[in-house]
Amino acid sequence: MKNALILASLLVLTSLVVFGQGYDEQPADSLVYPIGVAGTVYEDMELGVRGGTLTYASIEDPKGWNNHTAHETSTTAFTNRMLRGLVRNDHISLAIEPDLAKSWEISDDSLVITFHLREGILWSDGTPITADDVLFTFNDVILNTDVDCNSRDGMLLPDDTYPVCEKVDDYTVTFTMSTIFRPALNQLGFNIMPKHKLAQYVHKLNPAVPVGTFNETWTLDMDLTELVGCGPFIVTDYQPNVSVTMSRNPYYYAYDPAGTQLPYYDSEVTAIVTNSDVSMLKFRNGEIDVYGLRAEDIAILLPEGARKGFQVLISDAPAFGTTWFLVNMDIGLAEGTDAEKREVYRNVKFREAMAHCIDKETMVRNVFNGLAGAQWSPVSVPSPFYAGRDYYGGPITENNAVAFEYDPAKAVSLLDEIGVVDADGDGWRDLPSGDPLTIEINTNDNTIRTASCLILVDDWRAIGVNATFQVVDFNTLVDRLFGASGDFIYLGLTGGNEPNSGANVYNSCGSLHAYRYSACDEPDEIDLRIDELLGLGAGTFDLDEAFGYYTEYQQLLSRQLGYIYTVVPTFQYGYYDYVGNAFKSQPDRTPSRYTGLLGELCFDKRL
Amino acid sequence: MKRNCLRALGLTSCVVALFSLLGMAVDLGGIVANELIEEISNAAGLNLIDQYIADYTVEELTDLAANGLTSGIKLAADRALFKLNGGLLALIEMDNEALLALAAAGDQDAADAYVFNGKGDYKKVEVVEAAIAATESDTLAIALGTLLGGFYGPGSPVGQKTEAELLDLVVGDSLGLRVAAATALTTYWILGSDLTIPQVEAAILGVTLVYPEKALAYQGLLTYLYSL
Repeated sequence: MKNALILASLLVLTSLVVFGQGYDEQPADSLVYPIGVAGTVYEDMELGVRGGTLTYASIEDPKGWNNHTAHETSTTAFTNRMLRGLVRNDHISLAIEPDLAKSWEISDDSLVITFHLREGILWSDGTPITADDVLFTFNDVILNTDVDCNSRDGMLLPDDTYPVCEKVDDYTVTFTMSTIFRPALNQLGFNIMPKHKLAQYVHKLNPAVPVGTFNETWTLDMDLTELVGCGPFIVTDYQPNVSVTMSRNPYYYAYDPAGTQLPYYDSEVTAIVTNSDVSMLKFRNGEIDVYGLRAEDIAILLPEGARKGFQVLISDAPAFGTTWFLVNMDIGLAEGTDAEKREVYRNVKFREAMAHCIDKETMVRNVFNGLAGAQWSPVSVPSPFYAGRDYYGGPITENNAVAFEYDPAKAVSLLDEIGVVDADGDGWRDLPSGDPLTIEINTNDNTIRTASCLILVDDWRAIGVNATFQVVDFNTLVDRLFGASGDFIYLGLTGGNEPNSGANVYNSCGSLHAYRYSACDEPDEIDLRIDELLGLGAGTFDLDEAFGYYTEYQQLLSRQLGYIYTVVPTFQYGYYDYVGNAFKSQPDRTPSRYTGLLGELCFDKRL
Repeated sequence: MKRNCLRALGLTSCVVALFSLLGMAVDLGGIVANELIEEISNAAGLNLIDQYIADYTVEELTDLAANGLTSGIKLAADRALFKLNGGLLALIEMDNEALLALAAAGDQDAADAYVFNGKGDYKKVEVVEAAIAATESDTLAIALGTLLGGFYGPGSPVGQKTEAELLDLVVGDSLGLRVAAATALTTYWILGSDLTIPQVEAAILGVTLVYPEKALAYQGLLTYLYSL
């Protein structure tokens, strides 16, 4: 351990030599995190002291250090700490906040966003960060088809054009769009890369290098002293299969309210381990400071926490994404079969009956070991646009939830009401005509989903619905989803902050509008309103106004019961008591490695 | 577990208690060298593992683990060796059959590793309880009980029991459930008890020969208090 500390100290010293000594005084345009400031989401955090090393573990090596050619989180987990964008989602509130840009303006027609960069802030090698770096990153890297860039798709506007990025002066850039699209502001938070270090590797700027050279830049075997960043830490040492060490960027532009430059830690060391069990044991042994728990770890770690001085934080905040089953309201439409079944499925009272028969509490307890929460909305719970947060213990908003509580008696009543009753006395409910009603729910070979489906089927059968469950391979399942050939399907979707990113699912003509593709040609009033709300929400920069649209959107979708939501897992992690501010983590990330912890705000309480 | 009646005299404990009452630093080396009450000696020993690693060679540790004069010395040396040999990290690499064989032969670390490897199957309280009921191995019962203690203890999202329920369980018939209760009780006490070191030592004296798992629970608390 002593050796490790000495090594870490040496690395920091090395980095200071390479990077320089930092700012003489706090830049006027520095970013100040309101740590401990009442009335902010940071008010319960503590001001820290500088020094020490924060340790994590990862089960994957990074694949390089080039942020914009990276396709895997094992790489971006590091590049995201080395680089910053014009704007960021606040660590805690997830609201869009200034980052490298200190402010922005949106034109009256909402088509031009003008960013004002912080002046006097520097790259880690002491070079000024200017508008040229923004233009280079956007025009010469992201939009450059020679570059194998992962973030280009995210910049595409609804009319299949890209924003136009132009320089006004050294500290002002504009992005001009051909159509109003508020989510673009989110997308413009891409990481800025240093032109002075990288332009030489871009063929269009330096024809002397072959096309595609940039894709082979900042690879694992590079001289790490050549790495330059603007984030809190810079990679200063990499030992394959062993560890990655990041050292403080002396020119990071963020400070705390007391004028202490962030990050507090001198360095962060990520141990590369073979699997999660090793991570867990390293945490138990005190070899790493933070660990993202699996449900199966909880019982082992809980009793040890008090003895060993670590906390097991079990968040009650569900993670991003949705889990649902869908009722295929177009069943048999293409084949000209199942007309009566289709009619029943399209009756919202039938779907309400099914929804009232989801025992979410049992799912949470038995499938997720208690580490999940009920879900009702198509918008991810951590999103600032999520409209039912009070359902989880808020109150952040009024109770906007449209929740179908577990109520088998209500389900029975609804089925009776629409004539889905046991006509022939065989114990199973039939279609109104008397023909048998059988339901098959499919999911892929996923233990969590399988266990959830078994609970669903048990409950439906208990009220006389002849439901069965079948595991099918994922590709078959997706074929059924896209081909509208399934019956009931149990799956999940990833999610993000912006509800409009779900337009491909919830717009009546969306490619994943799998519960009723026919809505594209025959939309009902609710479908039309949902489409309209999606556009309205994305078409305004007034977040309160957007929230209003998206609240109605969520309520309509929840009542429509196309996708019928079940439960979503929470996240949890462990951290040693001496890691200050570790009790708070970024809700859209998993702290299992490094991305969830607010590393630049954490500090070593032992110092 | 062999027990020496002399431990019941607890003479050294009284000396330690006096130290504590006078507000002096606890002499862990003195306790571990002289304490005859197993749980008190062990609590001190568990706080000396790193010191033993620094102070003794592997050969010396091996000798102390086998021939140490007190339970605490043996435990400290044994745990130091375990740590030096890679701890559980080394054991979980073994296949389960080998671990089971070692566990059946009385190797508690092997039993712990076996249960650790199977923790994915032990995510439900009922499953762990059933496994405890089914096992005839004391080492496995203890390993499973320790895991179950995590479910029973404070903060657990499922299966949490009250302190009163645990106090009943810790003197019950099933070894695994007694260990589970002891594990959970220690957590409760560390988080919420205001017992002092002398009080915990006295509590251990009262139960050590009668209710070993209850004494084990107090040992956990004492280990923590000694570490402060």
